[in-house]
Amino acid sequence: MDKKIKILIRYEWKAFIRNKFQLFLLAVTFTFGLYAIYYGQSEIDAQRETINAITQLEQEEFSLYKTSFREERETLGQEQTHDIASRPAYAWYRHGYHAILPPHDYASLAIGQRDLFRYYYRLTGMSLYYQLFENELANPVNLMAGNFDLSFVLVYLFPLLIIAFCYGLFSSEKENGTLSLLQIQAVSIRKIILVRWAFYLIMITGLALLLSLIGQLTSGSPVKNENMAPAIAWILAVVVYCIFWFGLMFLIVSLRKSSSFNAITAAGSWLLLLIVIPAVLNVIVTVKYPLSSATLAGLTRRTGLENEDNKEESRKVIAEFIAHEPTLKGSERLMENNMLPKAYAAFTSLKDIHSREEVNHYNAQVAKRNAWTSRFHWLSPAVNMQEVLARIAKTDLNIFLHFQEALADFHRDITDFYFTRLFWDKPILLEDYSRLPAFKMPAVKGRWTTIYLGLSKIGFAAIVAFVLGFIKMKGGNK
Amino acid sequence: MRQLFFIVRKEIVIAFREKLIVSLGVILLLLLGLALYAGYISYVQQRQTITHTQQEKRQEWLNQGDKHPHIAAHYGTFVFKPKTILSLFDFGLDSYTGTSVYLEAHFQHEFMFRPAQDHSSMIRFGELSSALVLQVLAPLLIIFLAFASFTRERESGTLKLLLSQGISLRTLVSGKVIAYSLMLGLIVWPFVVGILIISAAGIQQATIPDIALRVALLALIYGVYLLLFIAFSVWVSLHSSTGRNALLVLLTCWIFFVILMPKTLANLSESFYTLPSMREFKAQIQKDKLKGLDGKTPRSVRIVNLEKEYLEKYGVDSVQQLPFNFEGVRMQEGEEYGNKIYDHHVEKLHKIFHKQNRLSSIASLFNPYLAVQHLSMALSGTDMHTFLHFEEKVEGYRREMVRKMNKDMAENSRYGEFYGYKAGNDLWQKIENFTYQTPATLDLLPQYRMEIVSLLLWGALVLVLFNSSNRKIKPTNG
Repeated sequence: MDKKIKILIRYEWKAFIRNKFQLFLLAVTFTFGLYAIYYGQSEIDAQRETINAITQLEQEEFSLYKTSFREERETLGQEQTHDIASRPAYAWYRHGYHAILPPHDYASLAIGQRDLFRYYYRLTGMSLYYQLFENELANPVNLMAGNFDLSFVLVYLFPLLIIAFCYGLFSSEKENGTLSLLQIQAVSIRKIILVRWAFYLIMITGLALLLSLIGQLTSGSPVKNENMAPAIAWILAVVVYCIFWFGLMFLIVSLRKSSSFNAITAAGSWLLLLIVIPAVLNVIVTVKYPLSSATLAGLTRRTGLENEDNKEESRKVIAEFIAHEPTLKGSERLMENNMLPKAYAAFTSLKDIHSREEVNHYNAQVAKRNAWTSRFHWLSPAVNMQEVLARIAKTDLNIFLHFQEALADFHRDITDFYFTRLFWDKPILLEDYSRLPAFKMPAVKGRWTTIYLGLSKIGFAAIVAFVLGFIKMKGGNK
Repeated sequence: MRQLFFIVRKEIVIAFREKLIVSLGVILLLLLGLALYAGYISYVQQRQTITHTQQEKRQEWLNQGDKHPHIAAHYGTFVFKPKTILSLFDFGLDSYTGTSVYLEAHFQHEFMFRPAQDHSSMIRFGELSSALVLQVLAPLLIIFLAFASFTRERESGTLKLLLSQGISLRTLVSGKVIAYSLMLGLIVWPFVVGILIISAAGIQQATIPDIALRVALLALIYGVYLLLFIAFSVWVSLHSSTGRNALLVLLTCWIFFVILMPKTLANLSESFYTLPSMREFKAQIQKDKLKGLDGKTPRSVRIVNLEKEYLEKYGVDSVQQLPFNFEGVRMQEGEEYGNKIYDHHVEKLHKIFHKQNRLSSIASLFNPYLAVQHLSMALSGTDMHTFLHFEEKVEGYRREMVRKMNKDMAENSRYGEFYGYKAGNDLWQKIENFTYQTPATLDLLPQYRMEIVSLLLWGALVLVLFNSSNRKIKPTNG
């Protein structure tokens, strides 16, 4: 390395460790980072506990059913349990299956929308939409305040740290009167500024990476197969985002204005990118794509047949349903055995079929909003970064929209399992319990494309800012 | 007096010469306009849908046809959370509280659909509302405007000149504070007029009766808040050696007050007082219904006791001999027992909410931003207390509806004939349409004692600071 550069670095280091205030800032940020990691993990751990509890409940429920096949049935209770276990007429609306969206190991680093959406559902063969819209309990005040997780520290606080370290890179020399001393040196001012800039770039990015590594190591081993790609993407995102802010600061510094001007401009940019742009986009999207869940509310109504004693009504409902699902027609005694349960099953399924369009339309509107906002992500690298981190940790809106779709498929599996037995007049056998429907969350297509596309946008902004600053810096000294 | 006038004029002239300040002011004004406009549009949209759907559900209830009252109680109806006219000013918790609820016999459903769920994760950056502009952005403009108010005079040596001319520091300080207040007033007044017009237009709104008082109080607290920031910024400038230092101190305070503290508090409250999951919450209610609140009187025992009580009271041997349908009495009794259980659990839940939110209430003593945020939401009818009050009214409505259905059943049907009896439109009409009115401002404000005390304390603190510091100021650098 160039000897001059070595000297520059050595002096910068000395200046750095003597500046108590700067060290204090780093320590504070680091502490906040550790707290954020701890907080995120405790939130996600609580979710894991809930998941364990409900999984256990489900296992208990089904093992009760299975043992009812093997044991002697003496009491009324045992008889009832066995009826629920073996007769599709009871089982179709009694057996509850949990569809769970387990948190990714790194969800604790970017909680994203996981506190806002439900991550587990208990589904029976009854109307899907009756079971879909209940929320998890939450304090709306805290939902609004948002989560103090590592992604917050990286997206909000690190830029501030970068601003605090960089705004005086050039102006402080001028204001302290050391500028003229520097100008008579053989090294160009640009080079000096550049070296100091790079010094802080490495230092602060290093801190961000250190926090990320601590977070990753404590949340789930990065060398595990499913964590490898997310861990690398996260590291890359942190580097690119830090470089963007350093690039922006370099551009501001290159204007060679006063420290106050730099600080105002930098704070203004921060405000613009982190508060104003997203807030404006949010309110525009609300107005542009108005959505009211009021229309969906009606789907949750518990309705049934008008008159249970009216055989004709039951027959009609079953016939209408069979027209939609001709494969269920099988049994000759379709209209004799278990008329009422069949009619109810047909009724709730028809209800779903009729409301499907409405729900799909609604979800499509949400997806449209999502698509519209993501078109403007380039406006704010901060918004982009947050979205990238949420996608890496699988806590973004998209995952939950997919989860909803997967729920519909799973519900379909459940009704298939029970209805083929109910409508074909077949009992549920013990061996059927090894073939129970199970929830599968399909992989989200295009996830990595979006992540890397997002990152490249931030990277592009970083390069533009830096190059502009570099050119500006060259133009002589005023 | 003339001196004061000159100082004020000079400050304003100087500020208007600074392009940065002027452009920031214009941006703020534009944002306020946009916020108000978008808030209004979305208010109108939401209101229309809600009114429309509410009427639709009302018609569904009235035209549900002849049926047994208990089936009607299960058919139930829906209530949608009305938007208050002032919510266009401060969205408050509206995006995070549920918006609709299904009312039926036996079960208390929770509110469904949080509007934030229809947004991408960008929603967590916040939405642009007038309240956001005034609470978050306006203080920053003040900081930019006032950080150099004294340091500039000091750095250029004019402070010495001014003081040597016999101008008291007090006049100087008041002049600057007045000048900045006037400038801020200049930016804010079109907005104040705008909100007055909109509120006046919607003044007949039944949901929120005392709009005039609320708007006046809103103006008052925001006035105090912004004045506090102006005075504080000037004071910091008075005590800083350089503009750069003043700016750094002020920006740090802003970040701490507005960004870090609210989020940290919300998260800490979440860690200190954990909420049960919805599944746990429901399971406990279910358990108590099954085994009784004391864990010793299961449902069957409760029914036998009730039967005995009624037989003794009317001096008959069997429930068939009672002059009314005992089935209706039994159902109402079950309903009331269920309500008791629900109240017990929901009270526990609300206590947790209360404890969680009390943390930031107490913290508002140290942070005027929190105080104003809470008060502003309260006055706009978008706060937690108003929401819980609304929930309570809705539950009361549900109970009234179910009670009337059970009463009709007891009076008009006979024991054992169960679903044979049918009621009609006359009975449905007896359930009045649901209307909601927010609590009166004067009833609401005692909940926010801390916040009011906070603003008073901060006001007093600023006054004390100015009075005690006037003599200690050195007019020169360092």
